[in-house]
Amino acid sequence: MVQRSFKRLVEVGRVVLITHGADAGKIATIVDIVDHNRAIIDGPTTGVSRQVIAYKNTVLTDIVVKRLPRTIGSKALAKFLEKEQVVEAWQKTAWAKKLDARKRRSNLSDFDRFKLMRLKKQQRNVVDRQVALLRKERA
Amino acid sequence: MGRLHEYQVVGRRLPSEQEPTPKLFRMRIFAPNQVVAKSRYWYFLSKLHKAKRANGEVVSVNEIFESQPLKVKNFGIWLRYDSRSGTHNMYKEYRETTRAAAVETCYQDMAARHRARFSSVQIIRVASVKAADVRRPYIQQLLQPKLKFPLPHRVQRPAKKADRALIIAKRPSTFY
Amino acid sequence: MAKTAHKNQLAPGISRLSHSKVFSKRATYKAKKESKPKADAAEAKKAFVRKPYVKEDLVDVLTAKKNELVQAAVTPRPKHSRKALRAPKLRKSITPGTVLIMLAGRFRGKRVVFLKQLKSGLLLVTGPFKLNGVPLRRVNQAYVIASSTKVDISGVKIDSKFNDAYFKHEKEAKLKGTEEEFFGKEAQKKEHPAHKLADQKLADKDIVAAVAKVPYLASYLSSTFSLTKGQAPHKLKY
Repeated sequence: MVQRSFKRLVEVGRVVLITHGADAGKIATIVDIVDHNRAIIDGPTTGVSRQVIAYKNTVLTDIVVKRLPRTIGSKALAKFLEKEQVVEAWQKTAWAKKLDARKRRSNLSDFDRFKLMRLKKQQRNVVDRQVALLRKERA
Repeated sequence: MGRLHEYQVVGRRLPSEQEPTPKLFRMRIFAPNQVVAKSRYWYFLSKLHKAKRANGEVVSVNEIFESQPLKVKNFGIWLRYDSRSGTHNMYKEYRETTRAAAVETCYQDMAARHRARFSSVQIIRVASVKAADVRRPYIQQLLQPKLKFPLPHRVQRPAKKADRALIIAKRPSTFY
Repeated sequence: MAKTAHKNQLAPGISRLSHSKVFSKRATYKAKKESKPKADAAEAKKAFVRKPYVKEDLVDVLTAKKNELVQAAVTPRPKHSRKALRAPKLRKSITPGTVLIMLAGRFRGKRVVFLKQLKSGLLLVTGPFKLNGVPLRRVNQAYVIASSTKVDISGVKIDSKFNDAYFKHEKEAKLKGTEEEFFGKEAQKKEHPAHKLADQKLADKDIVAAVAKVPYLASYLSSTFSLTKGQAPHKLKY
């Protein structure tokens, strides 16, 4: 029934990233589907309390907790999440790393930004020199 | 209408010589606040019995809270509404977590599909329905044991409205 | 009509009679304008003796029979200001050693070290001069961004002679009506006083040493702050 071209589906056990509201930036798991617009999510290991949320305010991720029973309780869900290492799997994704880097970058102080600039300069100095050498060899 | 709450309103006719201990009438009313709940109580009571606010009193008003507000239920709602040409009875189903929320979406639904305002809709009965007894296909389709569906068309918006760009050079990617 | 406690007022703060009406009724125009002899401020203070209380109800004054012979001698006295000069509160983010980014004036964009708040409320800062050319200087805290970076100057003693008077400019003699005003003064660059140069060196010595302990801090202080494309100053963290 479901077309194969869609990779991410709304289903019980699907891990979502919350993009709007107080929990923005945290991940949670779909525990039950209300209708075509909303689901019940829960994130006992990520500090998200059980709530009804609109899909509009979330993004589906590639991660799914397999064989998760419908309307599972918070404590049992936490065990599932730990067993499947959902948070670790999320942190390993390039997406999560990008979000984390963006957050860290926006929290840099003025002095940190200056040091970063200086270190990047040093890095460029080494890399560019090597690239130039290689280019010379090729030519 | 703001968000609806469910109230239990108990009232009676004023005691008189013929009737020293009048019968109590209890009603479950959906209203945005207690004041409206009492008003709706007298509205319905005067239709059902020979009692009105002038010769009656409200004994108690308390809110009924949902016992499991984080569990999805199927609600059946029986209602009566006045259309432009007559009065109709209806049965509708909703999937919600609370009775009050189901009634609220019902009012929205009635306004959308039938242009029926709050004043022309009377809720008769609200009951949670077992999955096997669900009649409407639009609810039945959500009750499959392994329900899965894609979100085919998505535009991702920034978290804050202030961060939203007014003009962008690229069309948004809606693939999900 | 609104009733007020004062019978010579229509409403609180609004006099029943206009300014000019009061002027004519009081016959103030008859009073000779006395030129007040200029007295020393200190002397005036001493001379001031509280006068016995005189009923100054405006309506009483106005309804009283006018005595043509007595002239109302009213000499205007400037109002005594009761406002005390208080130094503005120092922002919480500014503590001794905080690196500040100057926003206005000749040294805008420079990163400087905050030393202490002076009595006037201005901030005493120094470049240090050796690093970025900013001398010991006073700045208003409104024209400064406080960064979270701190230089450890807990061991550095700041000479108490650096007060507001130390930084006061010497007033130049007015040249009004002279030939020099018209033709322009001969370009004569004033030499920076030698004792100030020495003061600067002495004050900066320990601070420069403290700065040198932290890697990159010295070059950070000698560089200037600027915004690049896509940087919104209110969204940055400092």
